[in-house]
Amino acid sequence: MWKGFLSKLPRKSSASGRGDLDSGQCSNGAGNGNPTQRTSSCGGSSVPSGRSTSTIKRMSSAIFPSSVVAGIEPLVSFKNVPNSEKQNLFVSKLNLCCAVFDFSDPNKSSAEKDIKRQTLLDLIDFVDSCNSRFSEPVIAASSRMFAVNLFRVFPPNYRSSSSGGGEGEEDEPMFEPAWSHLQLVYELLLKFIGSSSLDSKMGKKYFDHSFIVKLLNLLDSEDPRERDCLKTILHRIYGKFMVHRPFIRKAVSNIFYHFVFETDRHNGIAELLEVFGSVISGFALPLKEEHKIFLWRALVPLHKPKSVGVYLQQLTYCVTQFIDKDPKLAGSVIIGLLRYWPVTNSQKEVMFLSEIEEILESTSMVEFQKCMVPLFRRIAHCIMSSHFQVAERALFIWNNDHIINLIAQNRQMIMPIIVPALEHNSQNHWNQAVLNLTANVKKIFSEMDEELFSACLTKCKEDEEKQVSLESKRRLTWEKLESAAAFQPVTGHTAVLVGRQPSANLIATLI
Amino acid sequence: MATMDALIYPIAILVDELKNDDIQLRLNSIRRLSTIARALGEERTRKELIPFLSENNDDQDEVLLAMAGELGVFIPYVGGVEHAHVLLSPLETLCTVEETCVRDKAVESLCRIGAQMKESNIVDWFIPVVKRLAAGEWFTARVSSCGIFHIAYPSAPDQLKAELRTIYGQLCQDDMPMVRRAAASNLGKFAATVEQSYLKTGIMSIFDDLTQDDQDSVRLLAVEGCAALGKLLEPQDCVAHILPVIVNFSQDKSWRVRYMVANQLYELCEAAGPEHSREHLVPAYVRLLRDNEAEVRIAAAGKVTKFCRILSPQLAIQRILPCVKELSSDSSQHVRSALASVIMGMAPVLGKDATIEQLLPIFLSLLKDEFPDVRLNIISKLDQVNQVIGIDLLSQSLLPAIVELAEDRHWRVRLAIIEYIPLLASQLGVGFFNDKLGALCMQWLEDKVFSIREAAANNLKRLAEEFGPEWAMQHIIPRVLEKINNPHYLCRMTILQAISLLAPVMGAEITCQKLLPVVINSSKDRVPNIKFNVAKVLQTLVSILDQSVVEKTVKPCLVELSEDPDVDVRYYANQALQACDQIMMSS
Repeated sequence: MWKGFLSKLPRKSSASGRGDLDSGQCSNGAGNGNPTQRTSSCGGSSVPSGRSTSTIKRMSSAIFPSSVVAGIEPLVSFKNVPNSEKQNLFVSKLNLCCAVFDFSDPNKSSAEKDIKRQTLLDLIDFVDSCNSRFSEPVIAASSRMFAVNLFRVFPPNYRSSSSGGGEGEEDEPMFEPAWSHLQLVYELLLKFIGSSSLDSKMGKKYFDHSFIVKLLNLLDSEDPRERDCLKTILHRIYGKFMVHRPFIRKAVSNIFYHFVFETDRHNGIAELLEVFGSVISGFALPLKEEHKIFLWRALVPLHKPKSVGVYLQQLTYCVTQFIDKDPKLAGSVIIGLLRYWPVTNSQKEVMFLSEIEEILESTSMVEFQKCMVPLFRRIAHCIMSSHFQVAERALFIWNNDHIINLIAQNRQMIMPIIVPALEHNSQNHWNQAVLNLTANVKKIFSEMDEELFSACLTKCKEDEEKQVSLESKRRLTWEKLESAAAFQPVTGHTAVLVGRQPSANLIATLI
Repeated sequence: MATMDALIYPIAILVDELKNDDIQLRLNSIRRLSTIARALGEERTRKELIPFLSENNDDQDEVLLAMAGELGVFIPYVGGVEHAHVLLSPLETLCTVEETCVRDKAVESLCRIGAQMKESNIVDWFIPVVKRLAAGEWFTARVSSCGIFHIAYPSAPDQLKAELRTIYGQLCQDDMPMVRRAAASNLGKFAATVEQSYLKTGIMSIFDDLTQDDQDSVRLLAVEGCAALGKLLEPQDCVAHILPVIVNFSQDKSWRVRYMVANQLYELCEAAGPEHSREHLVPAYVRLLRDNEAEVRIAAAGKVTKFCRILSPQLAIQRILPCVKELSSDSSQHVRSALASVIMGMAPVLGKDATIEQLLPIFLSLLKDEFPDVRLNIISKLDQVNQVIGIDLLSQSLLPAIVELAEDRHWRVRLAIIEYIPLLASQLGVGFFNDKLGALCMQWLEDKVFSIREAAANNLKRLAEEFGPEWAMQHIIPRVLEKINNPHYLCRMTILQAISLLAPVMGAEITCQKLLPVVINSSKDRVPNIKFNVAKVLQTLVSILDQSVVEKTVKPCLVELSEDPDVDVRYYANQALQACDQIMMSS
């Protein structure tokens, strides 16, 4: 199928839109549809060496035909052509850069690689100094060159499968072998998009939805340098192409959903959130419903994945940006966090507590009252955690003046929840530092409202005594219910057939 | 009277428990939902309990998950299938929550209920749920809807059927990739319920769209649907519509898609029939075997035998074998390992001559592979080759491979080869075994790692079973027994274990004459652990030995041990004595 398609292409690849973009990619991957730039270490059996040269031949017959022999040769310098020809030369140089080399072998076609590098530098210089508008062919050819060089499928990630998914361990990042070229391509893309010579109306036709989605997919790269470049570029695109903004937000949300609800694996979440941090700070007030949905449906669920530690800083920034914009959101965000509370992961629990504190810092009294009961129930659990860092972090909250103030004004609700936890700690906790902090919080409470504090203590003791009778009462209730149930006929079953749980339990205890 | 009291309050109990802060209590009450329902009776369950659950679904995901599961088996409690539809509403809400596993569970329960509902009720109640979910504002609802179409469709009248097909088509083109993925992965199930005539037109065009999706994660799932669809279509339609797609997929840019093709190709061949497979799929398969990405080659290599079985031997030799040769020296050890685990199965396919000429050199080179897994995989399937060409041609290379594995520094590798020793022994015969492997089997008894010593003891038992007690008496027993004087107590313990394993195979006489004295002797050991193991071994021997021997030799020894200064020795000696008495009593 591709063969037929390719044969219809003119040998002069004067770059006109989508079709060419695809063919460029295809020609690089001829045999298997694989991109030639592979980071995989398994070179092995099947890299035909002639592949890149055949690609190059096609590319070299551009407007300024340099040579018919294999390989690429440098084109004339921009200095040596009249102004009127400069943009044409630019296109030719772009076409030359569509040759993609195999970097798995550093010695292969090193002369050509060097020419391409030099050409890319020329292109960057030209964009820097250009002061006339880019013509449509120039934009088309650039978008094509970017696509050919950048859009590739990442190889399988052997590292994560072999390391057994140990959380939070910092492996050596994988570095992209073709970086010496990619870096320049990215730099050119950044300059090109940012250039005042690029008319955004014309540009949006070539830097379109499909281009953006593919660019976003690259953020899954293992190479931190690449993700960093992409972050800046994404930011620039968001700034330049107003029409694409809703689409970009939607596409990024999709990446988040995919990550949170399906795969749990993505390398670029931190970078995406960083871009969004500044996007959010640019939102106009009052916030659109769409943006709030993004907060609830994407940002809050992003707390769920195990790897949240990697991007929590950026995530917290985004969340607090929202709350700064619209303080009325704080309550719902806190309720959301409680929903995703990591009950079995102490490390994450500590992080969540920090974020809660940060959010509470900018929470108003009204919002605080909306969520304080479930929130302080959760904090009470954390105070009693046998992991001392969790308990410590929870108790540290009382070092914050703003929060103390919130608590003091709602002490009637909060103290009865927290005091039993404190009492439990001072009797049972193993860790000295936690004991000290617990004593400290108790002191704060008793200074806050002596009478209420001692009332809570008394009630706490009473409850403890009642606990046992409550348990047995509950058991009794269920037993009564069971026997009542056993008397009721059920359609399609006889009452006898319905097994009674207690008997099964009884057998279990006997064994 | 107590039952009457309880009858009034069940709902109140549930409400009370569901409001408790302790999630464990909330979970418990949801898991006993059926009890509450039974206590309430069918009518009140329908009118009170189910509506309460429909509204009360703002809990932790764990609770919701339990609820979704319970509701799936709730039909008897609401009054049977005629009333099943009342369960749809709470499940519909659960289909829209964020947590994936809650949604999946709710979909599963919906399917289970829908499968039992009457046709007219499906039309009146179930299909509206499908339509509402499919039109859901949030993607979660639309994703869930994809999984229940196949339940709704068969019961729908023609007009509704057309509508359902259209809706499914729209889901396949949804804005959000999540929805398209769900639609792609459920397409096979849905297609199985659609009439042949629509299959070729409607469903195939939906499928075509999916195969050209921008996101590789969607295409990936479309590949999975290929085999399912292929089996539904008439063979000629399968060849016309599915094969080209597969051939295209095998050249997809994304390695994940190609990997999936490699995994599914065999099933597709089955759907397309052998003739067309030969013609169209062999080139695709060869491409996958030579893929750039090791991951794809691993998947493809693992299917090489299955694939060759549907080809003619000639075609396999011509087209597949050259690739197999390349793979046997692949740069990725995992590819070689995958190949080694199946390649032996090619021998029966290719026949004797081709195996000797073509496969044997590959076996031999894989047997010398630097990666132990590769060698192990070859050895594990030795029987398949033995049937075709006999073992002689391999035995010369086999021995160094086995010896090297037997001394590998990773104990798991040593363990693996021990597991194969009985197989090897049966294939190679007594003679070869005595000459070459006997010493190794003894050596393992003194390994540094417990699991190896344990496996070594067990191995001796299996060998004794394979070659018979006489052989064992001659070749194993003396060499085992002499090790009882090993200075290391852990080794002596292994010997005791070996004795207890060998005794049942050897029979009463040999046990009494040869094995028992050694055990009794060990009861004088200076290490308590040996002594209590003696007690344990004696306990197992009692059932084999003659009663008189037990009385005369075993019991006195145990009595002595039961007075040992060490508490554990006394404990096990008493246990053994009790066992003795029991056996005596019963016999």
